[in-house]
Amino acid sequence: MTVPPLLSLRDISVRFGSVTALDRVDLTVDAGEVRAVLGENGAGKSTLMNVVYGLLSPDQGSMQWNGAATSLRGPQEAHALGIGMVHQEFALVDALSVAENLAEAVDERGWLVDYDGVFEQAEARAAELGLALAPAEARVGDLPVGARQRIEILKAMLTEVRLLILDEPTAVLTPAETEQLFAVLRGLRDRGVAILLITHKLREVIELADTVTVLRRGRVVAQRSARDSSERDLAELMVGSLSPDQARAEPAPAGPVPVLRARRLACAAESGAPALDDASAEVGAGEILGIAGVDGNGQQPLFEIVSGLRAPTSGSLEIDGTTCSVFSPGAMLDAGVSIIAPDRRRQGAVLEMRVWENAILDTALLRAHSSAASLDRDGATAFASDLIDRYSIVCDGPDATAASLSGGNLQKLIVARALATAPRLLVAFNPTRGLDIGAARAVHTALRAVAEQGGGVLLLSTDLDEVLGLSHRVAVLSRGRLSAPVAPPYDRRQIGLLMGGGDRPEAA
Amino acid sequence: MTARLSSSLLAAAIGLLAGAAAIAIGGGDPITAYTALAEGAMGSAYGWSEVAVKACPLVISGLAVALAFRAGLWNIGAEGQLVAGALVAVCFATNCPQLPTALGVSLTLLAAVCGGALVAAIAALLKLRRGVDEVIGTIMLNFIVLGIVGYLVHGPMMEASGNYPQSEALPGFTRLPRLFQGMRIHAGSFAVVALVPLCAWGLYRSRFGYVVRAVGANPVATELAGFSVGRYLLATFTASGALAGLAGGMEVASVTYRMYENFSPGYGYTAIAVALLGRLDPWGVLLAGLLFGILEAGSMSMQRVAGVSAVIVSLIQGCVIFALAAIEYSRAESSS
Repeated sequence: MTVPPLLSLRDISVRFGSVTALDRVDLTVDAGEVRAVLGENGAGKSTLMNVVYGLLSPDQGSMQWNGAATSLRGPQEAHALGIGMVHQEFALVDALSVAENLAEAVDERGWLVDYDGVFEQAEARAAELGLALAPAEARVGDLPVGARQRIEILKAMLTEVRLLILDEPTAVLTPAETEQLFAVLRGLRDRGVAILLITHKLREVIELADTVTVLRRGRVVAQRSARDSSERDLAELMVGSLSPDQARAEPAPAGPVPVLRARRLACAAESGAPALDDASAEVGAGEILGIAGVDGNGQQPLFEIVSGLRAPTSGSLEIDGTTCSVFSPGAMLDAGVSIIAPDRRRQGAVLEMRVWENAILDTALLRAHSSAASLDRDGATAFASDLIDRYSIVCDGPDATAASLSGGNLQKLIVARALATAPRLLVAFNPTRGLDIGAARAVHTALRAVAEQGGGVLLLSTDLDEVLGLSHRVAVLSRGRLSAPVAPPYDRRQIGLLMGGGDRPEAA
Repeated sequence: MTARLSSSLLAAAIGLLAGAAAIAIGGGDPITAYTALAEGAMGSAYGWSEVAVKACPLVISGLAVALAFRAGLWNIGAEGQLVAGALVAVCFATNCPQLPTALGVSLTLLAAVCGGALVAAIAALLKLRRGVDEVIGTIMLNFIVLGIVGYLVHGPMMEASGNYPQSEALPGFTRLPRLFQGMRIHAGSFAVVALVPLCAWGLYRSRFGYVVRAVGANPVATELAGFSVGRYLLATFTASGALAGLAGGMEVASVTYRMYENFSPGYGYTAIAVALLGRLDPWGVLLAGLLFGILEAGSMSMQRVAGVSAVIVSLIQGCVIFALAAIEYSRAESSS
């Protein structure tokens, strides 16, 4: 008699309105197996994981756990079976401390929560897993995104887990942290834990996974062994066909005045966010300047200053030759700066509102789509429909709520909006974090388009491949200091060395 | 939309059932009581007139609360803003030289609007400049306004005859005209009929309303999109106070004609229930205000005919809100 798989899904279908997110999908995972789930945005990966985790009940299909039919009515039931999940967009409470967030994962009965005990347990677990953990009292909202993710991973691993789901877990990790995570996951696998891994990094699939399931438009297009696959095979299965990545454009002739000129910008460390120290940079017209660096080395303050969220304590900023005196997002937008913020759901869109309402969420676009005091709904709807067509945004039309869009399609909408004002300077901070190849490519095409049309692009990204693949020049942020920019051909070792100082656990 | 409507209707039904249970426990007959209530409120032209009189302040201050809540501002101060509006209206009207009625009434109501807006603006500035949570700020301002009214009607504002701690009566040219002989329904009802579509247009069809909804749902993204969230909060808070002030001014210019302590039977607090039951939608607020107006207007008749205390109506209103919260909670649980 054969041992039944730990988890087996059969014929799973999920529909949202007229969109079929999953179409008769089969998936099995054995104990001690790492199964990767690959797919473009909107391919249904997150939906599938939500079914496994009990967040969604499928419209059709069955689920078996250890050979017995089950249906989950919520994450609590998933926990009870031993299913843990690390979400792509963190499920942490920003206002609470690290210890309090961890305590949430522990099934405490009774009136009192032993925060110290929970934290000690977590620390022990973290040491065992080789994860750096922030101090117990630190407020989660103040921590850099990488540190927050480590808490999220730890939270899922605090209880006895037989199946661990990870949704794009390496998106914000440094290469070293990724290696650590993989070591941890291999250790878990050897102990018989099954792992479902969603990632768009093909190399990681081949490196870590035993088997891979490829989804395209809600259907399973391949189930195969990961080790016998090449990156190219997998990429082709995922997107259908793979065109070679566009060659990097030559720098456009720089205009007489740079689009962005930052001189000796500095700002003090602020509740967890690191300081920016004497940062100077120029972005020419038609140029993409990439800022490489490990997360938490000053990207946040630099982004906040350039997007107008905070004023520098010293130094000056010029946009198109005009010195900024007022630092507010409105003033920056008026000066011709468009923003692609790192956290698309929190900073980039109003999820409760409709796609057409989000399409005009910008002072200039709102002015363009209203007359006197009155909102031009028809005009805005037509505008949104046009963006949906031009950027191939998969959604239920302009009247769908933004919350119903997948991460990649939401990002496409945000990018489309940012470009609609023909910005002089586009500031993009981790614009493809967690996106699959197709959506990431659409975003990259959009960034190049801004440069080709004579605008400047300031690309802050912790994804080194992205920075090197797109930028005309690259500078490195490390401990709040910005290096002098280097031009291609890029020497990865040299850039790696410049980033090196940042490859350490974040200080809170 | 239909889901929202159905949860409101279900909540209203549960509230009425809870009221029936309370009546039965108290030894009364729920059917007799509710029949008396319904007949009192809806069985005659006079009843309907009373419904309109009760619903006017509830709908307008309900709109005030709904507007603020939509912007993510927890304005618990509609009561204080309403009373402040009435107070300023009385100050103006009792010191104003003779004017044509249309002008006198308009200026009196304008004074009320300013009074309410001023109190709300104080809470808004405390929040924006000093980080005082608006829930705390508005509750404290409610007490302050009531304290000022108490002082004034016992002192500087007290009527010349000095019999009661109340202001002089409003002169005739500042009073909202009544529509029918022998009934209290007044011209303010027209204002309500006009305000509801105006607010609906403002919220859903105007540029300002669009930004207000965006600010309420996600201030971070709205700020990054270039909008000055602080200014929109100040404007919305002030507009909310202006509406609440108008409700108070209308009440004093059409029903009480005088200022005194306990001038408002808690309209500003009931307004929160009205706004929530109306799902923060202007048309919903109108329906919820009418329902509460019917309950209020019929309550005396219920007490008289069925011997059931009119206070039961407050119990019903409270249960409606509890039921609504419970329904919404279970809906959110089952859909997530």
